[in-house]
Amino acid sequence: MSTLLRAAEPFDSARYRADFPLLARQIHGKPLIYFDSANTAQKPAAVIEAVDDFYRQHNANVARAVHTLGEEATAGYEAARDRLARRLNAGSRDEVVLTSGTTQAINLVAYSHALPRLAPGDEILVTQMEHHANIVPWQLVAARSGARVVPAPITEAGELILERFAALLTPRVKLAGVTHVSNVTGTINPVREIARLCRERGVPLLIDGSQAGPHLAIDVQAIGCDFYAVTGHKMFGPTGTGALWARREHLAAMPPFFGGGEMIRSVSFDGSVFADPPHKFEAGTPNIAGFVGLAAAIEYVDRIGIERIAAYEQELLEHASAALRAVPGLRLFGTAAHKAPVLSFLVEGAHAHDLATLLDHEGIAVRSGHHCAHPLMKFYGVPATLRASLAFYNTHEEIERFVAALIKVRRLLA
Amino acid sequence: MPDRPPAQTTPLYQALVLDHQRAPRCHGPVAGHTHAAESVNALCGDRVRIELCLADDCVGAIGFTGEACAITTATASMLCELAIGRTVSELADLERRFHEVIAGDVAEDAVLGSLNALRELARYPSRRLCAELPWNALHAALTHPTESARS
Repeated sequence: MSTLLRAAEPFDSARYRADFPLLARQIHGKPLIYFDSANTAQKPAAVIEAVDDFYRQHNANVARAVHTLGEEATAGYEAARDRLARRLNAGSRDEVVLTSGTTQAINLVAYSHALPRLAPGDEILVTQMEHHANIVPWQLVAARSGARVVPAPITEAGELILERFAALLTPRVKLAGVTHVSNVTGTINPVREIARLCRERGVPLLIDGSQAGPHLAIDVQAIGCDFYAVTGHKMFGPTGTGALWARREHLAAMPPFFGGGEMIRSVSFDGSVFADPPHKFEAGTPNIAGFVGLAAAIEYVDRIGIERIAAYEQELLEHASAALRAVPGLRLFGTAAHKAPVLSFLVEGAHAHDLATLLDHEGIAVRSGHHCAHPLMKFYGVPATLRASLAFYNTHEEIERFVAALIKVRRLLA
Repeated sequence: MPDRPPAQTTPLYQALVLDHQRAPRCHGPVAGHTHAAESVNALCGDRVRIELCLADDCVGAIGFTGEACAITTATASMLCELAIGRTVSELADLERRFHEVIAGDVAEDAVLGSLNALRELARYPSRRLCAELPWNALHAALTHPTESARS
């Protein structure tokens, strides 16, 4: 069926929902409403079965055994690289390094790309809305090199102030790290514009794509960045999987981060010769079954179509935003013009943790806390928020039930 | 992995807990206090400050202030009520008993009085820190004499 024809079909979320076994669970005797997908997404049966099938039928180590199982395991693992390369529109599959997640991907860039280039007085430019995973690795390499991490400011709506970002891109800046989508406010950053600014000044740019993976079509070539990190478990795949896409010339110039098996061509006590990228960065036995599951997850999402998912999620976001605004005393954090379905909020007179526990009693899973974004919490002047984060398996009816439950539990604490 | 037990005989947010949250006892600063300290829950930024008068190893006036969730506020309220007239070693014993109750090791402990209302925390390990915060503040206060009291 052509994309045009499919786009005209209404989005049948009930049909896709049935693909996720866990969503049938009852919590405290009530049907589960899972609004914590920005934390980790649920997994479709196709992923669970792929992992199960790997261990039942194909388990072996990768890239070293010539027997049939070894070939099958290697093919399954490498298929994830192919799927990821297509999903990110990488120029080549060799530009995709498989990692344990975004955190490992960013640390790889911090230690292998940035650290050797940093000198005292240099700067790494990030934004006020970053997740700790896109702050702390830079602080660690800054502490070793005498460089410092500089945050670019945002507006109250949660949008990056582009002119300020551009002004901060001085010759001192040796690398910029920006999130594609905020895990707290849902803000979708104008990454192409950001990449253009960085290219003009010759500053390598890393995009943290953790929260973009499940919601947006990603095209690293069109964005024009240097590094792009994703995590598998937010893209409906298993935990412990992820990837770093990097321009070929960067990968070629970067020394290995971890040493060990799998990443070498030859080893002697006079010195070792490393494998070519991306294998140079994949020391040790990887999470093979996890990547087999991730390949299945990407294939599953591709069958539905990420553009159709994004369009449906925008409907959910509009519905949820309007419904939450009608709750008395509710303050929404993040009202950017371009947003993913992530809603952070507080209700006057009610503590985030109390509301989260009471909502759990209603079968509703939301996150409460600082969302690994202390600087952003400080910007908004609050220690913690509640966060409802949605995915394409959520429904309009769930939003109605969620808001009704929120009003109900709010009354209990008043 | 075992599912969390669905049936709840008494909910965590039972009337007694909500009553202490809405109308906390021993709430406010203590004039002329001899000991004081504040504890912060790093997970959510909640803070509890406890001020008290200690004479002959015995807690006299005691009060708490701070911004916190219902579980922390109710625990602080119940704890301060219970602490009046207790010695430092009695309080250490009560703390040990309270931990046993919220960990689910014992169903309840008559010595703890109203604090037994927090026993449902046995089902909510992630919220136990909320109930431990006032105890941490008390603990810290008892080892921090205020400047004026020292002189």
